Amino acid sequence: MVLKTLESMGPLHGYGIARRIEQVSGNALRLNQGTIYPALLRLEQRGWIKAEWGTSESNRRAKFYSLSRPGRKQIEKETENWERVAATMARFLAPSN
Amino acid sequence: MELIRILASRLKALFGGRRLDAELDDEVRAHIAMAVEENVARGMSAEEARTAALRAFGGVTQVKEQYRTRRGVPLLEQAWRDVRFGVRQLRRAPGFTATAILTLALGIGAVTSVYSVVDTVLLKPIAFRDPGRLVVMREAEEETEAGTRVMPDNYRHFMRLMGDTKTLEGAAIFDANGASVSLGSDHPRIVGAVTASPSFFRVLGVQPILGRDFVDSDANEGAARVVLLSYEGWQSFFQGDPRVVGRTLMNGGQPATVIGVLPAGVRFPDISIAPSLVTQSSLGAREDVIFEALRPNKFDLSADNSNFNYRAIARLKPDVTLARAQGELEGLQNAYSQSAHLPIRLGARLTPLNADVTSGISGALWLMFAAVGGVLLIACVNLANLQLVRAVTAERETAVRAALGASKSQLVMARLAESLIVAIAGGVGGVAFAVAGIRIFVAIAPGNIPRLNEVRLSLPVLLFAMALSVAAAIVFGILPALRSIGVQPQRALQRNSSRTASARDGGGTRSLLVGAQVACTVVLLIVTSLVLRSFSHLLHQERGFDTSHLTLAQVDLFSPQYGDNSLKVEATKQAFVDRTLTALGQLPGVQQVAISSAMPMTGETWIDELSRPDHPIPEAQKPMVNVRFVSEDYLKTMQIPLLAGRNFADSDRANPRVALISEGTARAGFNGENPVGRKLESIIPDGQQPVTVIGVVADTRINGLKNTALMVYVPYWAFAPWTPLILVRSTQASDALIPEMRKTIWNIDPTVAIPELKSMDEQVDESVATDRFQTVVLTSFGGAALLLALLGVYGVMAYSVSLRQQEFGIRIALGSGKAALIKLVLVQAATPVLLGAGVGLAAALLAVRWVQSLLFQTPVLDPVSIGGSLLVLLAAATLAATIPAMRASSVDPMQTLRME
Repeated sequence: MVLKTLESMGPLHGYGIARRIEQVSGNALRLNQGTIYPALLRLEQRGWIKAEWGTSESNRRAKFYSLSRPGRKQIEKETENWERVAATMARFLAPSN
Repeated sequence: MELIRILASRLKALFGGRRLDAELDDEVRAHIAMAVEENVARGMSAEEARTAALRAFGGVTQVKEQYRTRRGVPLLEQAWRDVRFGVRQLRRAPGFTATAILTLALGIGAVTSVYSVVDTVLLKPIAFRDPGRLVVMREAEEETEAGTRVMPDNYRHFMRLMGDTKTLEGAAIFDANGASVSLGSDHPRIVGAVTASPSFFRVLGVQPILGRDFVDSDANEGAARVVLLSYEGWQSFFQGDPRVVGRTLMNGGQPATVIGVLPAGVRFPDISIAPSLVTQSSLGAREDVIFEALRPNKFDLSADNSNFNYRAIARLKPDVTLARAQGELEGLQNAYSQSAHLPIRLGARLTPLNADVTSGISGALWLMFAAVGGVLLIACVNLANLQLVRAVTAERETAVRAALGASKSQLVMARLAESLIVAIAGGVGGVAFAVAGIRIFVAIAPGNIPRLNEVRLSLPVLLFAMALSVAAAIVFGILPALRSIGVQPQRALQRNSSRTASARDGGGTRSLLVGAQVACTVVLLIVTSLVLRSFSHLLHQERGFDTSHLTLAQVDLFSPQYGDNSLKVEATKQAFVDRTLTALGQLPGVQQVAISSAMPMTGETWIDELSRPDHPIPEAQKPMVNVRFVSEDYLKTMQIPLLAGRNFADSDRANPRVALISEGTARAGFNGENPVGRKLESIIPDGQQPVTVIGVVADTRINGLKNTALMVYVPYWAFAPWTPLILVRSTQASDALIPEMRKTIWNIDPTVAIPELKSMDEQVDESVATDRFQTVVLTSFGGAALLLALLGVYGVMAYSVSLRQQEFGIRIALGSGKAALIKLVLVQAATPVLLGAGVGLAAALLAVRWVQSLLFQTPVLDPVSIGGSLLVLLAAATLAATIPAMRASSVDPMQTLRME
C-alpha cells in the first residue's frame, strides 16, 4: 500500500503517506498513524524505498520517502501476483452458467 | 542478498544510535505538526487540533520503541548494555571483583604452569610416533627358586624372536653407554652413546633431518663405521654445520663417519636394563648423543644362556594387543627353551614404553595431578562462594529491575554478563600467571633436569583449567539469579529494606563452601609439609662419609692404549692411576687423594652376587653387593671409619687379593660371624681366585642418599677401572682446584676424557634434583592453595561485613565495643574454618597413605607436619578474617544510619 501510494504520488513524507492511505481506503483502514514509521523502516531496510530530508509544502523539515528501482520491481511483482489471485478468485466466485 | 542488506543496515544503526534517535524525533515532531496544521485549517482550535493529531498518531513512545527494535540488533544492544552495566556494578564492588579475578588467575596460572613443566620434563620424552604401540621387551627366566626373574635381552634370542613373531611390526635391540668422542685434535669428551640395531629409528618412527638413517648393511662385519648425531651433538661438535654429513669424528680413538643428524628433541628415554635394579644412569639427562649401528660380536651370536646384555624395544602391529604379543613371544621362548634343551626356561615380558619410562615417577605424577585437581577445586569453590555472596546484593537489584518490568531473560543475561566479565579478566590474568610461573620454575629448577629449556605453555591444560573455572564462575553466577527470579519483587524489596537480613541469607551455603575450601587446603598443606619434611630429612641424615672439601674428577680411559683386557693394558691403566695420584697429591692445599671406580650418587653399579667358598649360600639368598676398586687412601679421603681389621697397605700391592667389606655386607653375608680372614669368590673380573676379607668399614649412602649400599672394596692393584673416579680432599675451594686438576690430569695423558669435574657437594645436590623439584612443585601447589583459601575467607568475610555495615553501625550506636565487634566477626568466620579443618584433617589421614611411598623415612602421621599445617592454615584464616573484622569495628554509626 505504501509502495503504491509512493508510486502514484511521488516522494512523500510520513504524514502524507498516512493521510493518503486513510483517504484512499475511504477511511476504512483507520490505523494509528504512528505505525507507518516502523513499516517505512522495514521497507527502507529491504531497499525498496529511499529516504531523504527535505522541506514540506508548509516549509517544514521532513523526511521524504520515494520508490527505489527494486521497489518498483516489487510493485510489479506484487501487482501481478495480486491480479493472478484476484482473477482466480473471480473465476471461482463468478456465477456458474 | 536482501537479508544481508537488512543486517547491514541494522548493524549500521547499532553505532549511530543517538543520531538516529534524534532523526526519528524530528520526523515524529514534523508529522504531528503537519497534522496540527491540517486540523487547524479545518477549523479546530489549536488545543483540539493537537489532541486530535496525537490521538490519530497513537502512542508516540510505543511507536518509537517499535521503531528502535526494528532498527538495530536488539540482542546485541542488550548484551552491550548488560556488559556496561556489569562493569559498572563490578566497579562498585572492587573487593569482590579483585578477589574473584585473582582467584581465577591464581587457579588457572598455578595449575597450568606446573602442569606445563611436568608435561615437558616427564611426559614429553615419550613423544614418538604412535607411542601407544611401543613396548619395552625383556626376557624372563621362569621357574627359578626365586620365581620368575626378568632379565635384559640376549642377542640370539632377540634375533630368533624377530624371525618368528607375527605380532610385532618391528623391533630393535640396543645398548646405551658412554663414548669418548673428539674431532681428532681436541681432548675427547664423553657423550651418551646408543649402539642399536639399524631398525632402531624405524621402530621409533624418527627420521633424520640431515643425511640418512641406518641401513641394515651398516651393521655388517667390516662395513664402514658410521654414526648418527643427536641434534644437540651436532650443535656441540659441529656448531650446526649443514654440511656435516660425511665428516669424521673420533669415537673411542677410532674414526667414524657422520651419516645423519636427528631432529631436535629426540632423546631416547632411559629404560632401565632390568626393572629390579636401582640404577640412575646419567644418560637420561644427556643431550649430546651419538648413535652407532650395533655389530654383534662372536659372543652375542653364540651365547644362549648367558650374555643377557641388551635392551630392546618393539612396535606392536596396529591391531595387536599387548597381551596377545606377550602371549606369542612367551610361547616362542618356551618352545625354544625346550627344543634347544636349555638349562633354563625362557619367557618374555612386554611393558608399554610409556609405563616403563614413567614407572619410577608415576607415584609422583599422580600426586602432582591430585594436587592440580585440589588447587582447581579450591579455586572453583572459592569462585562459587564469591558469586553466591555477590548474588545476595544482586537479589535486591534484580527485584528492582523486575519491578520496573525487566524480563526474566534480561535479568539472567545481566548476571551472566557480569560473570563473564570476571571470567574473562581472570582468564587473561591466569595466562599471565602461567607464563610468569613457567619462567620462575625454569629459573629455580636445578640444571640437570632435562628439557627445561623446552618448557612451553601446555595449551590443553590451560584451556581445561580456564574452561572449568570460567564455567564455575558462570554457573554460580547464574544459579542465584535463577533463584531470585522466582522471588516476588515486592517481597524481595520489602525484605531488603533492611540490610541486616540479607547478610544471613544463604549464609549456610557460603559457610559450607568456605568449609569445603578449607578442607581441601588442609589436605594439600599436610601432603606438602610431609614432602618438605621428607626432603629435609633426606638432606640432613647421616651419610656415612664427609662430603665437604671434596672435589671429584671422573676420568675416562677410552683411548686405544687402554683398550682391551690384556695384562699389558692393566699395567698401563695402573700406571696412569699411580701417576695421577702422585701428581694431584703435590698440588698445594691437597690433604688426601684417592680413587674409586664409580661416581658416587649414581645408583647401584658393578653389582655382583656375594659367594663364599667356605659357606655356600642358596642362589636366591645371595646378597647383591657393589664392588668398588679403590686406592688405599680411599677411607681416609672419604672419612669412612674402619670398624674391624685393617685398611689396605702398600704391602698388599704384591698380592692384591684382599677386600674390605661394609657393615651391611658383613651382616648380609656372614650372619654375625667375624668376616675378617674369610674368603669371597669371583669379585675381581679376570681372576678365578677368591679375595680375603681384611677389614669391615662403616655403611655409607654413597650410591644415593636414600639407601645405604652393600659394599665390597678391592684395591685397584687387582683391577684398575677404565673410568677411575679421582677424589681430592683439599683446603682449597673446588672452584680453584678444578682447573688445576684438569691441567694435571691432561699433563699425564692428553687423550683421556674428563667428563665430570665438580665438588662432592654438587654431586650430592644433583642426585636429589628430582626430589627437590618434586618438593618445589608441591610446595608451590600448597602455597597456591593456602593463598586461595586466604582469599576465599577474606572475600566472604569482607563482603558479609560490608553488607552488615548498618547492623554494625547500630551496634556501635548502642554501645558495643570494638573488641566485641571483632569477636563477633571472627566467631562467624571461625565456625566454617574449624569445621573445614576438621574434615580436611580426616581426609588427609586417608590421603597420606597414598603418598607414603614418596616419603623418605618420614611417618605419614608426622605430628610436626600435621600440626604445622593446621597452625599455618588457622593463622592465615585468622589474618583473612581480621581485616574485615577491623573494618566492622571502625564503622561510623552516623554515616551508616544515614545511608539508607
